[in-house]
Amino acid sequence: MRSLWRFSGTILSMCVSSTLAFGQVEVDPDLPDYRPTTGVSGSLKSIGSDTMNNEMALWAEGFQRFYPNVKIEIEGKGSSTAPPALVAGTSQFGPMSRPMKEAEIASFEQKYGYKPTALPTSIDMLAVYVNKDNPIEGLSLPQVDAIFSKTRKGGYPKDIRTWGDAGLTGAWARQPISLYGRNSASGTYGFFKEHALFGGDFKDEVKEQPGSSSVVQGCARDRFGIGYSGIGYKTADVRAVPLAAEEGEPFVEATPENAYSGEYPLARFLYLYVNVKPGEELDPLRREFIKYIYSKQGQADVIKDGYYPVPAAIAREALESVGIKPSF
Amino acid sequence: MTAAGTPPALSIEQQQSAPRRRRLTSGGNSVLAQCEPMIWLNGGALVVCVVMILGLLLLILYQGAITFWPQPVVQVRTVEGSTYLGEITRRDSYLVGYVEAERLSPAVREIALDKLDASLLAKLSQLQSKQRLASRVTELAPNAEQGLHKLFLNSPAAQEATAAQRRALWQSFQQFRDHPESIARVTDRIVQLLDAATGSSAAIHDQWIRWRQRRDEWLAHSSLAEMQQALEQAPALLADLWTAQTLELLSVDVSIVVGRRLLRTGNFELTGEHFTWITDLEIAPEGVSRPRWAMIFERLAWGRFYGEPVALLIDDQPVATEPEKIWQQFNELHPDIRQRWQRRRRLETVDTGEVNRMLEAERLQLKRAEMRFGKDSEQWRRIAEESQRRSQALEEEFDVIRQEINRLDEENERYKLRVHTASGVDHDLLLADIVRCYPANQLTGKEKLQVYLSRWWEFLSDSPREANSEGGVFPAIWGTVAMTLLMSVAVVPFGVLAALYLREYAKAGWAISIVRIAVNNLAGVPSIVFGVFGLGFFCYLLGATIDELFFAEKLPSPTFGTGGLLWASLTLALMTLPVVIVATEEALAAVPRSMREGSLACGATKWQTIRRIVLPRAMPGIMTGMILAMARGAGEVAPLMLVGAVKLAPELPIDTTFPYVHLERSFMHLGFHIYDLGFQSQNSEAAKPMVFTTTLLLIVLIATMNLIAIWMRSALKKKFQYSQF
Repeated sequence: MRSLWRFSGTILSMCVSSTLAFGQVEVDPDLPDYRPTTGVSGSLKSIGSDTMNNEMALWAEGFQRFYPNVKIEIEGKGSSTAPPALVAGTSQFGPMSRPMKEAEIASFEQKYGYKPTALPTSIDMLAVYVNKDNPIEGLSLPQVDAIFSKTRKGGYPKDIRTWGDAGLTGAWARQPISLYGRNSASGTYGFFKEHALFGGDFKDEVKEQPGSSSVVQGCARDRFGIGYSGIGYKTADVRAVPLAAEEGEPFVEATPENAYSGEYPLARFLYLYVNVKPGEELDPLRREFIKYIYSKQGQADVIKDGYYPVPAAIAREALESVGIKPSF
Repeated sequence: MTAAGTPPALSIEQQQSAPRRRRLTSGGNSVLAQCEPMIWLNGGALVVCVVMILGLLLLILYQGAITFWPQPVVQVRTVEGSTYLGEITRRDSYLVGYVEAERLSPAVREIALDKLDASLLAKLSQLQSKQRLASRVTELAPNAEQGLHKLFLNSPAAQEATAAQRRALWQSFQQFRDHPESIARVTDRIVQLLDAATGSSAAIHDQWIRWRQRRDEWLAHSSLAEMQQALEQAPALLADLWTAQTLELLSVDVSIVVGRRLLRTGNFELTGEHFTWITDLEIAPEGVSRPRWAMIFERLAWGRFYGEPVALLIDDQPVATEPEKIWQQFNELHPDIRQRWQRRRRLETVDTGEVNRMLEAERLQLKRAEMRFGKDSEQWRRIAEESQRRSQALEEEFDVIRQEINRLDEENERYKLRVHTASGVDHDLLLADIVRCYPANQLTGKEKLQVYLSRWWEFLSDSPREANSEGGVFPAIWGTVAMTLLMSVAVVPFGVLAALYLREYAKAGWAISIVRIAVNNLAGVPSIVFGVFGLGFFCYLLGATIDELFFAEKLPSPTFGTGGLLWASLTLALMTLPVVIVATEEALAAVPRSMREGSLACGATKWQTIRRIVLPRAMPGIMTGMILAMARGAGEVAPLMLVGAVKLAPELPIDTTFPYVHLERSFMHLGFHIYDLGFQSQNSEAAKPMVFTTTLLLIVLIATMNLIAIWMRSALKKKFQYSQF
């Protein structure tokens, strides 16, 4: 089951290719409109990813339009804060921009006796940002590894310290690369470490930022900066560098098509973790919130935040995994 | 700096010539003992402080004040035929060299290359006229060779060959380099080129491209032997390669300064972008204009929209197609629609809220019964039945409200505005979604001021929208004030009592000294440590216990077992406690001993003396402590992030529903709002000005609270002076 949740390009490309129009993402037409029911009230708390902070806020806003008296509080200080909060019961939802680690699942299981349920809510591309003036054509993942990591597990032959090492010529060639990254509580940090650094270690010079947005702002201010963040945080001041999975392969632009087709090497699901006892029914509040996420409105919020909606097939599976019978 | 302050020149001279021992004894004449340098030092320190504080305040004031001022809408047509419409947010300029030009789109690259070629030509001509061309070419020779070598090593043929073969071929390059006339030949080529160009930069670029092509062709040969052959067949080839490389090196620092503007183009659902940079190179001749009817739409969702109105639709039937008429009709219709929308929102929040609250109460009652009597017990069944009946009634009530909401929605959905965007698409906007719109290019000064003030009003009085990047900050203002007041209520009595004991009752000794030291040290503990303490002790320990004892039916949803107003206030109270204790102690110490003794001599008890004589006189000092504590508490963010301040709190911590003060609720805080906007906002370009505005607001808020406290203090002082005899 878990492997299904892993980002699997082929599944996605089969279900989504029809929903794309002119490069502008659209919600899968098979998803239902959200229909409110009665008896939904109470309070929800979400603690977790900062990448999904705005997304959670948008969902909460949309959900409260249907249920004004539902209280939803959102804290987003990094994906690593989600599992402890779920285990301690201080939150009902744990948004995470990476799948839970074995140890985190184990500590949950130890307390409750079952595993937490992961709901893939939307699709993100982890983009490598450079300043908008940077003329670089693209980078391969081993190059990205050689830029950010001191261990170079990607196998790039030499350390990349200047833009010249990364292939730029002219006045850029002499300029040292200045690195921006996230703090270690962040799921983006973890995901990047695993997939772009091949599990290696970051260089000590990486300037760790408290939020995704400040990484982007760092690259916006610093002409020679490079950083990584979710695609939703892109501004006009930065450029998402096209990436190639391996040295010598063609560069892939960070576009929605490439995310769905699985060609973009750093595409990922954004998860919402919930505590559901298998076989037991969800309380109305959480049930309706999850239904809202997988409705047309909920997925339109995803687009609003700059991420990409999930296809109906994934939504159906996610709803079934928490014991909700999908109506589509 | 009077004349008296200046020491007579003679005395300094005397002193300098005097032996060292005498200088030490005559301290009265030393430079340090004179007041002049100290005046300058003290005054200078003050000036530096004032300049820094004023600079920061002015920056915040300026940036915060201009954010809401309406800007004109500019339409820009590019050489490639696309059109943009938006507000200019920022302008800057950057350097475009040959490397950067490669990334531009074809039409723009052409323009950029024209300018670059001209400046390359100018540079070369200048070198030639100064007779430095030859020496420059000589200087660049090692770099040119290195560059060529790199290209050669990366060529497909060289990568397949062995090292020895590569060295053999490279020898011809070394021979070329070592040949005394080679450099001269390269220089000659460039000079010839300059002569042939006669001021036309295109010619020089063409020739350069031709040389480059020859180089690329040569590098593309499939084997080293062919490469060698090519070199032998065309003796000029080597010089060509070398010249192309040298020109490339000479072109490295050739660049032009290009201005650009950041346009807020909005229309996110159509374009996927909020902002776009447009360089001056791309703009078509006379491509910048300010269309008369370009309008800005501020909406409930999806951010701003820019476009020109083409029709006003009621029930999908156009009722007006002229911009003037549309605008006129819009202004007639919009207030009613907004009113309906606001009515709808009231229904949603207040009326449905009430029903939902009661439903939740029923659910909790049932849960409580289940926990007390067990499921399926007789009592439980009775309560369940009752609750079922009441819930039914509530849900019927809910249906009535819902119908009313649907009716309002249907009515509002009849009105649409068709807008023509710059990209040539017609887009329909619901009038109910439009918060504010105006034809930006025809506003008079008065109308601009109206828009400006209405934006400020929205900012101060509304709740945030769109993940806090739009709308207002009212909940944050409310949360900040509530938290600060509650903190003061907690810290002042506590601090004053502690100080009273320390100063009035306790006997001076080592125990008291240790307590004092501990209190003073507490002031030096980083605030985040208090946050961690608050989270661990208040939320997880105290809060969880309270939940288990009193709110068991709500579990696993925590009530007090998570951050909230109470825990945040207590944490900050703990943090500001030393300030209050120290200030109160000082104030108590300042009350003259004779007054206490007088009171005691009259037969008053110790507590009567404190209550009637000491405390009133110490009151202004205690108030000072409170002001300091409030100022520190209101501006603190780090601990709040752990114990209760959240990005989005749906309900105010103090409101009109019983019991009015909801100590368990999380709250929004201006300081945290600033952090959130600055570091976490998805649309950071649009959020940046909001950061300044919110900062300005926070400063004003703290200043206001302090002013009120200062006013209270001075009132107290006056009262105390009257009662003096």
